[in-house]
Amino acid sequence: MMGVDAYIWSNLMTVLLIAGAVYAARVVRAQRLWREAAGELWRRRRFAIVVVGIYLGIGVADSIAWVGGVPEDAVGVLPNAPLSLIDRLFLDTREASYSAPLASVEFYGGKALRHPGSHLLGTDILGRDVLYMVFKGARVALLIGGLTSLIAIPLALLFGVSAGYFGGRIDDAVFFIISTLAAIPGLLLLIALIMVMGRGTVSVCIALAVTGWVGFCRLSRAETLKLRELDYIQAARALGVSEARIILRHILPNLAHLIVITFVLTFSGLVLSEATLSWLGIGVDGSWGQMIDGARDELSRSPIVWWNIGAAGAALFGLILAVNAVGDAIRDVLDPRTLRGSE
Amino acid sequence: MIEKRRGRFVLSRLALVLGLLCSACSNDPYPSASSGEKILYSSFTEAPRTLDPATAYTTVSHSVTGAVYDTLLKYHFLKRPLELMPGLAGALPAVEDLGEGRSRYRFVLREGLLFANDDCFELGEPGARTREVVMGDVAFQLMRLADPKVGSPVLEPFSNIDGFQEFGAALAERRESDEAFAARPVHEQYAEIGGIRGIATPTPYTLEITLHRPYPQIKYWFAMEFSTPVPWEAVAYYDGQDGRPRFDDHPVGAGPFYLAEYDKHARYVLEKNPNWYGVRNPEWRAPAAVFPSPADEDDVASGRAEYAGRSLPLIDRVIVVREKESIPRFNKFLQGYYDASGIIKESFDSVVIEGGLSDEMREMGMRLGKSVSPDVFYIGFNFDDAVLGRDGGDRSRKLRQAMSLALDVPEFLRIFNNGRGVVAQSPLPPGIYGYEPDYANPNRRVDVARAKELMVEAGYPDGVDPDTGEALKLGFDTANTSTAGLNQVRFFTNAWRELGIDVEIRPTNYNQFQEKLRRGDYQIFQFGWVADYPDPENFFFLLWSKMGKSAAGGPNATNFMDDRFDELFVSMKARENGPERIAEIREMLSILERERPWIELFHREDYSLYQGWVKNVKPMGLSIPTYQYRDLDPAERAALRAAWNEPVLWPAYSLVFLAVLVVLPGIRTYLKERQ
Repeated sequence: MMGVDAYIWSNLMTVLLIAGAVYAARVVRAQRLWREAAGELWRRRRFAIVVVGIYLGIGVADSIAWVGGVPEDAVGVLPNAPLSLIDRLFLDTREASYSAPLASVEFYGGKALRHPGSHLLGTDILGRDVLYMVFKGARVALLIGGLTSLIAIPLALLFGVSAGYFGGRIDDAVFFIISTLAAIPGLLLLIALIMVMGRGTVSVCIALAVTGWVGFCRLSRAETLKLRELDYIQAARALGVSEARIILRHILPNLAHLIVITFVLTFSGLVLSEATLSWLGIGVDGSWGQMIDGARDELSRSPIVWWNIGAAGAALFGLILAVNAVGDAIRDVLDPRTLRGSE
Repeated sequence: MIEKRRGRFVLSRLALVLGLLCSACSNDPYPSASSGEKILYSSFTEAPRTLDPATAYTTVSHSVTGAVYDTLLKYHFLKRPLELMPGLAGALPAVEDLGEGRSRYRFVLREGLLFANDDCFELGEPGARTREVVMGDVAFQLMRLADPKVGSPVLEPFSNIDGFQEFGAALAERRESDEAFAARPVHEQYAEIGGIRGIATPTPYTLEITLHRPYPQIKYWFAMEFSTPVPWEAVAYYDGQDGRPRFDDHPVGAGPFYLAEYDKHARYVLEKNPNWYGVRNPEWRAPAAVFPSPADEDDVASGRAEYAGRSLPLIDRVIVVREKESIPRFNKFLQGYYDASGIIKESFDSVVIEGGLSDEMREMGMRLGKSVSPDVFYIGFNFDDAVLGRDGGDRSRKLRQAMSLALDVPEFLRIFNNGRGVVAQSPLPPGIYGYEPDYANPNRRVDVARAKELMVEAGYPDGVDPDTGEALKLGFDTANTSTAGLNQVRFFTNAWRELGIDVEIRPTNYNQFQEKLRRGDYQIFQFGWVADYPDPENFFFLLWSKMGKSAAGGPNATNFMDDRFDELFVSMKARENGPERIAEIREMLSILERERPWIELFHREDYSLYQGWVKNVKPMGLSIPTYQYRDLDPAERAALRAAWNEPVLWPAYSLVFLAVLVVLPGIRTYLKERQ
């Protein structure tokens, strides 16, 4: 369940994202290079793509919310609060405390459950359905990966391309920033930034972006350095095409494959970083990292409570593995230098 | 030839490893300790920050200072509720009313008391190892409390002494203006300033304390180490120079034990003090130096009655080892290497079954001790807040009452605390004067139906805020940002959600939280309070308007202000226990019932496990060590330790066998190839 203003934003962003995805699909279809690459990708990693699609579907289902349509007697629902599709699926499933997967009684003490046998992955210390928590975590993970990349990649491109293209003082300045940031231990900087900005999804994303853009910046700078010496760019320059136009028309499209690859590979790293932050107590509410952190005590209990960490761990593992598999294939398909196994 | 020798070298190494494996079969963490002595083994987690009795204010510090320093008054070991009795003083103080709220307390010290042997006494008299305790030493310590440089946390209660604050101010001023003065030893500085007006020592064995306002609770502070006799020599000598430790790492007192060894990050040892009056003069039969007569049936049933009249201390030494992690500590306890232990949450369900010990524990001879600690955990509302506070009038009052009726504390304790804890009905825990077991707070039961009615009366039907048309939004500030800690807060916010109230959790770290408190930028918070002494005043002052956070920077974070409550508090504070005091306390509780500045949650209940060979355990609740009363049976301990720790050697042997099996062919091939 989310705040009132937040839900309008969330709906809007989701619709925009879906529209963006549809547009991207049309672009891919229209251009031969991208169309063939997409076909090749699907041929290679069908299963992984389906898995990522399922996660995306859950994330979208949890991002579209509306007010009303809730039965009168539903327990624990705030008046006039927006509920997402996922919230509505799991309405009124709370128990008092721990119960094992598909159990009919509480784990400690053996009191009868309100909904015996209906919790596929059991319930947590506050009696929340673990499957519900896992579904909610998917949105958080996608949000962190996506939002952070949306901040970090444009930032890296801006600095990297301008340093590579213009060189000279600009290059020196950018390189100075990069070297300085690279000299500060990443985790320390992350913690410091979150302490300063306060906890919350946006500040975690900003902190991850600030610490994470350096690598891609270096890569895009190097690539631009190479591109600007190529004949067609020299020719454009000789014809008097403006610098901005050269960058937009000739440099950026030639970096597109790098952007896609970096996005996918950074994504999984970011989701894992959030789990680390949750472990340190400064993560995002409702994330899988937090579920894993909460299991600290649960694992040393006797008898042991395993389904919480098990479910969150499996969900995290599934997403990261699938995204990495897809990312690996994208690199193979788009980057001719690392081409492997292409017949 | 060389190859052969090398082969032999490899084999001899192997034999050495085998030999080591067999010789290191014992897991005894105290290999050098003799098993016949009466040594108590205990553990601590965090290193004590200071052992200076003027500043030490934590349980871990008190477990040392309480044994090393003795006080003028002591608590009776067996009587509950706790009762004061004479300690170093021969009798309880005589109180003289001086009129206009002023009063004088007169303490008389026993003659012939000695400090523990220490090098520092050379300062007073060359060659001396100890000297007699006099009331000047108590007066010296009280002046240290007033000294702003010492930074004692208990200035407030002692400022009831006439001239206490002026002394501190004069001292600071003089130090500021006169550098030569500031460089002199502190006892000379104190003497030069002329001491505290309300403290007099007409004879070396008499101390007179004059209070400028009524504060009968002052006597409890003379049962705490803050007012112990401290020799000026120790403060002057242990200054951290020339290899000498600092005074806060080297206590010198007149208590039943002295600190024989101190490595604050690893272990410390307390030895029986041969100079303590209970050891030197057992014929005095001083009440705090002999084991008391039984006070209740439990004392008789547990065998404590047999000890009545025996001289203290009953044990020779206490060895306390640092143990940072709870699970190894508990395992060592189960192996017999610690004599007492708390019960860790993780093992609770296998150790305690339905409030009693499990069969396995009982067979090991363990005993379970339960005690309710004199504390209270509560949720507070900020009365400066527009929605929840005093400006909302009856509307806010009903909202607070509804929120109070929604919380199911027994369920909270069951889920988060293994069911340990006593559900609080008022700020007063059991064992504190004014606590009545039959008292039931009408706004502290679980009644969601009534709470919903109150929400309607408060103008928030179903929790809808008429201003926004949405759920009423409140904020809960917490400094505990761990996932486990947030889950506890979520338990409360989920309960309020049933009323339709949307309480947002605002996790902030401790420093930011303090800053928020200072700015008044908070609505709901959770706190706990542990009593300093067993008096209701020590709980109610947290709701006194003079202690208001926003008005005076005091500990009353609710900023609760109620004229009648204040009036009753001031009167109750100055009164001796009796029917009038009870009547006042009851009226105060009825105000709190209605106004609900707090939702009282629970009083902690400590469960402790003791080995069968440890005798005379009766927890006091307050952080007062009672080592001198403990007894133990070293022979039984040695026998049981040996039985519980029989080494299981077959895994080691099979590992060695396997290793040999893997390595031997290799050696053979190696030797063969070399030949």
